[in-house]
Amino acid sequence: MEVADCRTIARGDLNAWVTRLLGRAEVIAPVRGQGGDEVFASIAAPEEVLWSFRNPLLPPKHLLLPQTDTLAEFRRVDGHYQVQEPPPPRPKILLNARSCDAVGLAFLAEMHAQDLTDAAVLRRAEALTVVSLACHQPCPLGFCVCCDAGPFLEHDFDLQLTDLGDRFHAEPGTPKGQALLDLAPDLFQVADAAAAEQRFALEQQALASFGKETCHFGAAMRRISTRRVAEDLWEKMSPWCLECGGCNHACPTCYCFSVADRTENGCTTRCRMWDSCQYAEFTLEASGHNPRPKRADRMKRRFYHKVSAQYFQRDGRVGCVGCGRCVQVCMGTTDMPAVVGAIRRGNWVSGRPA
Amino acid sequence: MSDLLVPAIATILDQQDETPDTRTYRLRFRDDAQAERFDFQPGQFLELSVFGAGEAPFCLASSPTRRGTIEVTVRRTGRVTDALAALGPGDEVGLRGPCGNGFDVTAAEGHDLVFVGGGIGLPPLRGLIWNVLDRREAFGNVTILYGARTPSLLVYKQELHEWGARADVEVRITVDRAEPGWTGTVGMVPVLFDQVDLKPQSSLAYVCGPPIMISFVIQDLLARGFAPERIISTLERMMQCGVGKCNHCCVGSKYLCRDGPVFNFREIREMWE
Repeated sequence: MEVADCRTIARGDLNAWVTRLLGRAEVIAPVRGQGGDEVFASIAAPEEVLWSFRNPLLPPKHLLLPQTDTLAEFRRVDGHYQVQEPPPPRPKILLNARSCDAVGLAFLAEMHAQDLTDAAVLRRAEALTVVSLACHQPCPLGFCVCCDAGPFLEHDFDLQLTDLGDRFHAEPGTPKGQALLDLAPDLFQVADAAAAEQRFALEQQALASFGKETCHFGAAMRRISTRRVAEDLWEKMSPWCLECGGCNHACPTCYCFSVADRTENGCTTRCRMWDSCQYAEFTLEASGHNPRPKRADRMKRRFYHKVSAQYFQRDGRVGCVGCGRCVQVCMGTTDMPAVVGAIRRGNWVSGRPA
Repeated sequence: MSDLLVPAIATILDQQDETPDTRTYRLRFRDDAQAERFDFQPGQFLELSVFGAGEAPFCLASSPTRRGTIEVTVRRTGRVTDALAALGPGDEVGLRGPCGNGFDVTAAEGHDLVFVGGGIGLPPLRGLIWNVLDRREAFGNVTILYGARTPSLLVYKQELHEWGARADVEVRITVDRAEPGWTGTVGMVPVLFDQVDLKPQSSLAYVCGPPIMISFVIQDLLARGFAPERIISTLERMMQCGVGKCNHCCVGSKYLCRDGPVFNFREIREMWE
């Protein structure tokens, strides 16, 4: 991003801009859902968009990896199967994703591009424009600053917005993001020096606001990668895990899946569905053998995948964006900061620290 | 080509019962160009779909030196294999692949080869064996050691006979438990090591079978002087995607479906999770 490419838009003009976005693509944004929770949902009108909100409990990863994702349909016609692949994805704009979620989406796209390319996921990533909204302050459970995933981003967004009060600062990160600015040249002005300074000051202020709520990945990574986590530590932690899979499903970077067929009216639909490495049957083989029979084995696997140097080397980052959702959903307190803390200290203190 | 997880249609040409619960299927892609183009390494595997039941990985039991058709040998064990058993010649299935790394046939040239199979572990070796026999002059001595629990559980009986009749192949067979009419060796597979002249310095040993048999055989081969990297085996785990994405088959940071399923024993020893 060049400073010269940055724009500002008056708060009062945001709705006019969103209206133009709606004319171009489906727009998904945090909205007030039924029951009052903030959720990511398609919007019909610009007034629905929340510009100040608590990050929704479920990340927008379904835009790349739907919970149930049709791979193909098989129909038998005159004794022969016909394979029907799903239609190409329609263009979508994700508006007001928090920095952590923008990084999560970039991670998922990268995961499916490396080695063998999963074209279905990449087509979705290509059709999706991510507009992130930088965070002025840490969210209550967040630790993005430990994961290189916020509060402000250098990359992994198409367009990054910063709320400056009476106006918003907009910095394009990709041509896709630039295209959203080009939709409304009359609404955006070239960012002046004051806007750039204010944005920079807000970033510094946000960084400075992260206190003790940090996650010491470095020490945990050294221990996990060199097999220096005591076996009994996993055993001590594992009774606290309820095996609900909530940490996986609420995680912006978890992408494990299973494949299953469903047949209705002579048509077999093959879907991939979110799975959880914490489920006992995740590794159960047809023979009855299960290489990870104990919950401790499965917890160990989860944190090995997310925090080991072996995976860091493979994926280029820890499998965590510090959004704090696992802290929020885990009823057993075996969330990322708690387990990383336990590994670093070498002992498990049950329950959430006061 | 279409997507990574979308299978192509293949037709079952014919089938052969190997044991009461194991059957070999000969398959051909419905698309002729794809059938002729399909190339693989022995030791690689396929994801085979029975539409409506699902998908499961099976090793390619045929040799890439014989183009046009593909063979898989399947034991009835679960949902997909039960559904497959209900199909027959003319029925259609889905195929994805080849998946995995396969045996490095080029690196095996010039070496003496010892194949050690147990039960349903012979199919992955069979593709390699035919590959070697079709280019017999490129390899040294070929020894095939095979065992099953009972004589009726031996697979590829006709081919074992055929291989045994060749002057340039040494075949030894054993069963854990004899049945009436069995006059051959009785005992676990390692008893066969004493019946042949193993040359640990010049041989590569390919070991496939149930985990307990693999561990006995590998310990025995190490004791007889085989270097760990000269012992080559295949590993298995629950798999879903076969292309290194779904994370079901990981051992540590290794994906058995992508980095494997073929590993030498030195690599296996270094794995942990």
